Amino acid sequence: MPFVELHARSAFSFLRAGSLPEALVAEAARLGMPALALCDRDGVYGAVRLHVSGREAGVRALVGCEITMEDGSVVPVLVATRAGYRGLCSLLTTAHLRAEKGEGRVAWRELAEACGGLVALTGDEEGPLRRAWLERGPAAAAEAGARLAGIFGRDNLHVEIQRHRVAGEERWNRFLVDWARAGRLPLLATNGVLHATPECCGVLDVFTCLRHRTTLDAAGRRLAPNRERHLKDQRAMEELFRDLPEAIANTGKLAERLEFTLANLGYRFPDHPVPAGESQDSFLRKMTYFGAQQRYGSVVGEVRRQLERELALIARLGFSGYFLIVWDLCAFARERGSLVQGRGSAANSAVCYALGITAVDPIESKLLFERFLSEGRTDWPDIDLDLPSGERREELIQEVYRRYGRRGAAMTANVITYRGRSTLREVGKVLGFPDDTLDRFSNLFHGGDLPQTLELEEQLRMAGVSDAHPRLRALVDTCRRVRGLPRHLGQHSGGMVLSSGDLDQLVPLENARMPGRSVLQWDKSDIEDMGLLKVDLLGLGMMAALQDAVEICAQRGQPVDLARLPKDDPAVFRMMQEADTVGVFQVESRAQMSTLPRMKPQNFYDLAVEVAIIRPGPIQGDAVNPYLKRRAGEEPVTYPDERARPILERTLGVVLFQEQILRLAMELGGFSASEADELRRAIGFTRSQERLDRMKARLTVAFRENGVSEPAVEYLIKSLASFALYGFPESHAISFALIAYSSAWLKVNRAAAFYASLLNCQPMGFYSPASLVQDGRRHGITFLPVCVQSSDGKCRVDSDTTVRLGLATVRGMRAPALQSMLAARAERPFASLADFLRRTRFSAAERRVLAGAGALNGLADHRRSALWRVEAFQGGDDLFRQAPEAGEEALSPLERMTLLERLQADYRHLSLTAGAHPMRLARPMLADVRTAGELGGLRAGERVRICGSVITRQRPGTAKGFCFITLEDETGLANAIVRPRLFEEARLVINLEPALVITGRLQNEKGVIHVMAEEIAAMPDLGLPAQASHDFH
Amino acid sequence: MSYAVLSVPDFALHALRRSDPELCGQAVALVAGEGRKARVAAASPEARGIVPGLAAALAMSRCPGIVFRRRDPAAEVEAHRLLLGAAFTLSPRVESTCGGCCTVDLRGADPARTEALMRLVAVELAGTGLPARIGAGATPLLASYAARCAEPVLVVRDPRDFLAPLPLAFADPAPAQAEILRGWGIATLGGLTALPKAEVGRRLGSEGVLLWERAAGETLRVLRLVEPARSFAAEWAYEPPVESIEPLFFKLRRFAERVALELRGAGFVAEKLSLTLLLEDETDHRREFRLPEPGADVEGWMRVLNAHLGTVRTEARVAGVRLVAAPARPPEKQDGLFDAGLRDPASFWENIARIAAIVGDDRVGTPALADTHRPDAFVLERPSEAVTPSVEAPVHPPCGPTLRRFRPPWPVRVVCDAGSPCRLEGGRLEGDVRAALGPWRSAGDWWKPQAWAVETWQVELAGGGVYQIACMDAGWCVEGILD
Repeated sequence: MPFVELHARSAFSFLRAGSLPEALVAEAARLGMPALALCDRDGVYGAVRLHVSGREAGVRALVGCEITMEDGSVVPVLVATRAGYRGLCSLLTTAHLRAEKGEGRVAWRELAEACGGLVALTGDEEGPLRRAWLERGPAAAAEAGARLAGIFGRDNLHVEIQRHRVAGEERWNRFLVDWARAGRLPLLATNGVLHATPECCGVLDVFTCLRHRTTLDAAGRRLAPNRERHLKDQRAMEELFRDLPEAIANTGKLAERLEFTLANLGYRFPDHPVPAGESQDSFLRKMTYFGAQQRYGSVVGEVRRQLERELALIARLGFSGYFLIVWDLCAFARERGSLVQGRGSAANSAVCYALGITAVDPIESKLLFERFLSEGRTDWPDIDLDLPSGERREELIQEVYRRYGRRGAAMTANVITYRGRSTLREVGKVLGFPDDTLDRFSNLFHGGDLPQTLELEEQLRMAGVSDAHPRLRALVDTCRRVRGLPRHLGQHSGGMVLSSGDLDQLVPLENARMPGRSVLQWDKSDIEDMGLLKVDLLGLGMMAALQDAVEICAQRGQPVDLARLPKDDPAVFRMMQEADTVGVFQVESRAQMSTLPRMKPQNFYDLAVEVAIIRPGPIQGDAVNPYLKRRAGEEPVTYPDERARPILERTLGVVLFQEQILRLAMELGGFSASEADELRRAIGFTRSQERLDRMKARLTVAFRENGVSEPAVEYLIKSLASFALYGFPESHAISFALIAYSSAWLKVNRAAAFYASLLNCQPMGFYSPASLVQDGRRHGITFLPVCVQSSDGKCRVDSDTTVRLGLATVRGMRAPALQSMLAARAERPFASLADFLRRTRFSAAERRVLAGAGALNGLADHRRSALWRVEAFQGGDDLFRQAPEAGEEALSPLERMTLLERLQADYRHLSLTAGAHPMRLARPMLADVRTAGELGGLRAGERVRICGSVITRQRPGTAKGFCFITLEDETGLANAIVRPRLFEEARLVINLEPALVITGRLQNEKGVIHVMAEEIAAMPDLGLPAQASHDFH
Repeated sequence: MSYAVLSVPDFALHALRRSDPELCGQAVALVAGEGRKARVAAASPEARGIVPGLAAALAMSRCPGIVFRRRDPAAEVEAHRLLLGAAFTLSPRVESTCGGCCTVDLRGADPARTEALMRLVAVELAGTGLPARIGAGATPLLASYAARCAEPVLVVRDPRDFLAPLPLAFADPAPAQAEILRGWGIATLGGLTALPKAEVGRRLGSEGVLLWERAAGETLRVLRLVEPARSFAAEWAYEPPVESIEPLFFKLRRFAERVALELRGAGFVAEKLSLTLLLEDETDHRREFRLPEPGADVEGWMRVLNAHLGTVRTEARVAGVRLVAAPARPPEKQDGLFDAGLRDPASFWENIARIAAIVGDDRVGTPALADTHRPDAFVLERPSEAVTPSVEAPVHPPCGPTLRRFRPPWPVRVVCDAGSPCRLEGGRLEGDVRAALGPWRSAGDWWKPQAWAVETWQVELAGGGVYQIACMDAGWCVEGILD
């Protein structure tokens, strides 16, 4: 019988083991092991990864788990049957849902009730027997063993014996052997695997220290005694257990008995309730045709053919219920007045469009349905819904819980891994590096850094760690090994998994940190691999802003129907061509704004291209410049193969969208629909480079066999590889372009509502509220200051060019106090400051902030006067409230605030100013400094100096170490490019200073203006308020 | 001029700098707070552009090469004692107001002579690396304000004109008060006192009234005087430096007698003595002696000190000596019924000190097993004066053959067959292996240059005897014999 390791743990035991499931499988395969059981602590977190990688490597992945019992002992169990698996998941769910995150414990009684289909091991050093033996001796250990035998029965309990070459361990093993023989229980040899290979033992030691919050120097015997707890092959295990051959043989026998694997999960998607006499398919057909009539007017010709084709395929694949459920969720959201729009590949479906799930007509846009659904597809198609972030989205999430039950729906997990700066910080602490060194590292590599531009050793040297430091090697090696291992389980941004009421029996559920939410133990890729259905309910700040803007417009008698906006408004495209896109969805970033003047979008499809083109995929695939040059007529439009012309015509011969890759594979490579679907999954599956490489090789062969020329094959395969880095499907780009267009249209045609809604929905987008207000001022919008007499809670549009800032903008206001004030004002306006103070319930701090922000200026002469008078107010019970008397109100010995003081107060209390930009005050003191607005009129190559608040810093991974800085002054935005060498020289200044003076050569290429930085310095401290910067990498 | 205040601005920074010669002439900043919240609390003049409150990271960017340090309480205590000593040269009525600040009651002193004396004191203190500023005025508060403006001595004669332009921070407003006053645009003491006191009180309460009074310099307070001779320390500088240890013995006995008397008078005993020899090369030789039993017995102290000094060899001449006795309340303890204490702890510690002086401090103690998987690793712990009874019998009493370790282990050459020892050769042990058990493996310290790994076997030789052998980096050795 071959040896099978039946007690391995992965890094998904969170700080208790040091290798990924994939690494365990790879090592098991290398050792020729036919199967491997993963027993992570209190969950099956790594089971899917083990299953998927095992399937590819030919290693049968067995499911197990270490269960933490109520007394703290740990019982390893292996799953024999599907019933056993369902019972285990349910048991773990019960334990997790009643406890704080990570604290779930199982009662012995519960284990006894759920042990059917499970096989237990006696465990290792944390097992109930070993703990009893250590604490109370052999008799107690035998008693603990008897309890396990009583629960599982003699057939389902194996006495686990491990040999780690540690002196003294035989005494315990002798007891186990004697006890097993006396009770006629089978012995089972395992190595209690904690890491795949001996080299990974250091990671385990580091994790042990992190778990015990100690250092390696102080951890003592809590560290591993040696490096023996790795996967061992049959020969090594036979050698170890030469005297107990049955213990080896039993592993193979038991592995054969364990018939359950995740290949057979038994997931069933819930049906949608349908009227009597209707089936899921017939009801979907009915609703689709009903919707199509609304959308198209009459359902004939191409529309009918497409709908029929899609409906037939949906019915064949058994997905009708799924479409109905998503349709119903959209309907629920709309009934409550919420915007909702499908994104992603769902926009390729005419059925989704007809049902109102998506807003893009795929027939008109000539979108590839196979990108969404194809004949060979076995997994669920993705339908992601964009909702306004905040309460409306939460309302829908809670509705899903209500409909499917707390154990029938859960949020998808998000595995947070060790990476970047925090990894070095944690590992460095464990290795005993001093705090100031780690602080220095953190400050130097503010917000993370790009490993490809600076090696970790170099980063450490800059942080003051000498090359000769005795622990440098250990630090660097350990950081590299730890990087990518799971740190903890978070919550996916919106993915919900639904089932027909028994989700807890398919995967354990746990409480999320957020109240009212539960998460399952698998992440997005695991769920896809297991064929579970996930609906993404994604919160989008811009959706919330659009919703707000629509409501504002409706209130002002200027209703806007976003679904019926003219898609050809020349003013909108003119604004984009001028890169005047601050606040516009998707095209407001520095990179987008640098591309817009070259791209010069002229129609809606151009906008979709613009949205898609500034992505790591096209950038890495060298698609951006060729496309822009062809568009400008600077180079001819060519095609890698004449057969590609119909596919790439719209994108001028350049591959920009995922659909194009799939179509090319089908047309030029002869891929079937299911093969194309496999290709789609390989592109989207970022976890396995191997999978992508295999697909690339297959496609290369297919292209060659179909007579595609070698340069074309090379180009197409390079495009494929770059899309794995992140590229958009065309349908997704069009969906996003719809939102982008809507926001741009509002900026042009309803500017006041546009800015008001953006301010109301913060935090969101690329720019701070202060920058948005300044942009608004440049567009002729007047922002009126906050005022308790006039302002609402939210920002309000008073006229086409006037926005009154809302009181919610003021920092530190409690919503109930604000609501109470608004209610009091609605009864009757405040007659005086005394009246205001008497009738409101603000705290002293809130009153002070309101006065400082100028919100009481309507009731007092000036801010200082208000500050003086609110301090005299003695709050408390109504009867005893004292406000300044009428005669006193005019008396304030304080002087008015100066302009600079008012500006500082604005930023302190509002983080923005409704008045002039702070740089205006600094301007007279800045000799030889050009404004952002002046740059357009200067000649390229001129040496200029610019100065302003840093509003963005970017060092994208695709930029080869270049850094992009955007400065804001009173006239607009100025962009600077910093070469890698200068960045390294001025790293701290760039990363930390709130305002910079940058000197360099002006570049002006087709209206795209940059300053190529040569010198960078902090702006002299003139007492101006600092602005927040959004930093991206 | 009734009161004077001696104050050292950025006292913590100066205390640190004078205790660490390496910081001399360097751009140094004292930081407070951890990680990203670290802020500069004070900076040396060499750190140009660095102001208190600046984020440490920003300071790093603005002043490359700046050295960050945290407060050193010991250095501050030492510096404060120096300041206190200087204050006592002005008057016997001295208050130790706070770290780096002393208030002196000058009432009755000759103003002209005192002002000259204050200038002298300031110069002397500056020479020791403590640039004190001395202010004098009619009240302790005025004197303290004056000290903060002094260069280095300032006597306030017209309080009203003096106070008006001073920053509000001088009056030490609470953070909440400061925030309110900032909103009011009040930045100076004069600005605050220009407001009606009653109106300020109405808005800021009694705390506001106190602040107003502080701003007006009206606050009076009673000094909490300190006695001069309660430091239980003594120090002497040799000029010229001495070349032998002998002169120290006499001086130390005189010190011991005085300090012991002072301790007894204050109802204290010493729990430890600290001896520092300040050497000519600006290094020092320091030793701390924890007394076996807290006490004030001069003969006992001298036995410990003499035992140590008898073995001291210094690289340079001794320029000074310092003895500090740490005071403690006389011991009040009752031994456990079954505790086996030492009959004569003083002799015991005296002998330990003698042995340590010969073999070195790090080679004396009670061996205890180290918390590591490394076989036979141990640390030396401070010997216990009492043998405590064992708590309870272990669950798993030791069993199996006893290993009698060879110290040091015997080097041996081991011939292996299929990874298992089959013959021992060379050294003091030779013969064929009849049976071998093992290997047991342990490894550790992988993160250090001294990473180790040991493989241990138990072998029975054909000629008789069961031995434990181990393979390490240095090769094989016989660790011991098993009974």
